[in-house]
Amino acid sequence: MSALRLASPTARNFRTLAPSLRPARARLTDAAMDGKPLATLDYSQMIVAVARQRDRAAFGALFDHFAPRIKAYLLRAGADEGLADELAQEALLAVWRKAETFDAARATAATWIFTIARNLRTDRFRKEWRDVPVGDDLPDAIDEAAAPDESLSEAERGERVRHALRQLPPEQIKVIELSFFEDQPHAEIAQTLGIPLGTVKSRIRIAMAKLRDLVGDLS
Amino acid sequence: MTIRHHPSDETLAAYAAGTLDLGRRVVVASHLERCAACRRFVRGAEQVGGVMLEDLSPAPMSEHALARTLARIDREHSRQPAKPVANEPGLPACLKPYEMGRWRWVGPGVEMRPILLPESGNVRVFLLKAGPGTRLPQHTHEGSELTSILVGSFHHEGGDFFAGDFEEADGDVEHRPIVGTDMACICLVALEGQLKLSGFIGALLNPFVRL
Ligand SMILES: [Zn+2]
Repeated sequence: MSALRLASPTARNFRTLAPSLRPARARLTDAAMDGKPLATLDYSQMIVAVARQRDRAAFGALFDHFAPRIKAYLLRAGADEGLADELAQEALLAVWRKAETFDAARATAATWIFTIARNLRTDRFRKEWRDVPVGDDLPDAIDEAAAPDESLSEAERGERVRHALRQLPPEQIKVIELSFFEDQPHAEIAQTLGIPLGTVKSRIRIAMAKLRDLVGDLS
Repeated sequence: MTIRHHPSDETLAAYAAGTLDLGRRVVVASHLERCAACRRFVRGAEQVGGVMLEDLSPAPMSEHALARTLARIDREHSRQPAKPVANEPGLPACLKPYEMGRWRWVGPGVEMRPILLPESGNVRVFLLKAGPGTRLPQHTHEGSELTSILVGSFHHEGGDFFAGDFEEADGDVEHRPIVGTDMACICLVALEGQLKLSGFIGALLNPFVRL
C-alpha cells in the first residue's frame, strides 16, 4: 500500500511542489482528520461577525491571517515592501467595509478576500491609486448575477480545488502560479524557468485545459 | 440566446487572477454579466486564486499595521455614497461606476463614446455604435482588441457575432465587419494602442478615431 502510494503522482508531487504550496498540505491533513475544513469555516464566520456586529476581535483575527498573505501576493505581483504593506492594510479595510456583501454560501473566505486583493492589484496600475476607493468601482454585479446553483458548499469546493491542484504535476503548478501571481509575459516566464517559449505556451495551454477540467468537475 | 463566441481561457484566467488591466477587465466583465458558462469558469479560477492565497507563505506586516487600520476604521464616517451615474438603460452594469464622454461622430453611420477610466495605460475603452448594414472600415491595431457585443450583430470573415458574443483579436487580424441589417450594433471595445484604419476612408477617419 505504501509502496503504491509513493509511486503515485500525488506522492511524487509532495516532494517537488513549489515551496509556497507546501504549508497547505499540512493543513489539508489536519482538515481531513475530521473531514471538515474548519479553518475555512471559521474565517467565513469571522467575516459574518464583522458584518453583523462590527466585531473588532474577529477583524483582528482576519487581519492577522490574511494581511500577511495579501502582502506576499502583492510582493510577488511586483509591489515593493512599503506599497505591499499599505495595500494589504487597504485590502483589509475593504474587508471591513464590504463585509455585508460576503455570502458564505457562494464563496470561501479565502476566495472572497482573494478577489478583493486581486481588484487592488488591478488598481495598482493607476497612478493615483490612493485617491480611489478600493474595489468600489469594480463590477460586483458579476458576482451578484451568479446563481448559487451548486450542490456543494463553497468550503467543500475550496477543498476540492486544493485537492485537485495537488494532483497536477509541479511544472503545471509553476505555470499556473506564475500566471496568477507574477503577471509575467510568456517570454519572461520562459526565461525564469529556463525553458523555450514554445514550451511555456504549450504548458499554459495545458494548464488552462486543466483549469477548465477542474472547474467543470466542480459544477 | 446562445452565446457562441467567448473570451479565451487565458483571458478569463487573467481576469480571475487580476493580471488584466482595468480597461480589458471592464470589457470582459460585460461579457460575464451575460454568460453563465464563463462566469462559472471565472468563479472556479477565483477559487484557485483563493487556495493559492491561503498557501502563500505570509510576509510579516509592519509594526502596528492592525492598529493603524483600526484607527482608519474609526476615522471613517459613514461610507461615501456611490457616485451618481451617467448611465443609460441597457448598458452593462460594469460601466455604472465610470463616467463617459459624449458620443462622437467618427464616420458615416459610426459613433463612439469613450469610457473614462481612472487609469487605463495604453488601453482605451469605448462604446462603438454603427447603424444597420454599416460596413466598418478595414482596420488593424497595434495591440490586442477585445470586443463585447451589447446590442445587434455584425459579421466578418471570422464569423457571425451577436449580442452577448465576445471577440478577441490581436494585431495581425484585418477584418472588415459588416453590421447586421436589422438594427444598429453597439459594442464595448478595449483597444490596446492605436486603431489603424486602412484605405481611403481610413485615412479620412484616423484623426477622429484617436480618442
Ligand atoms: Zn462566455
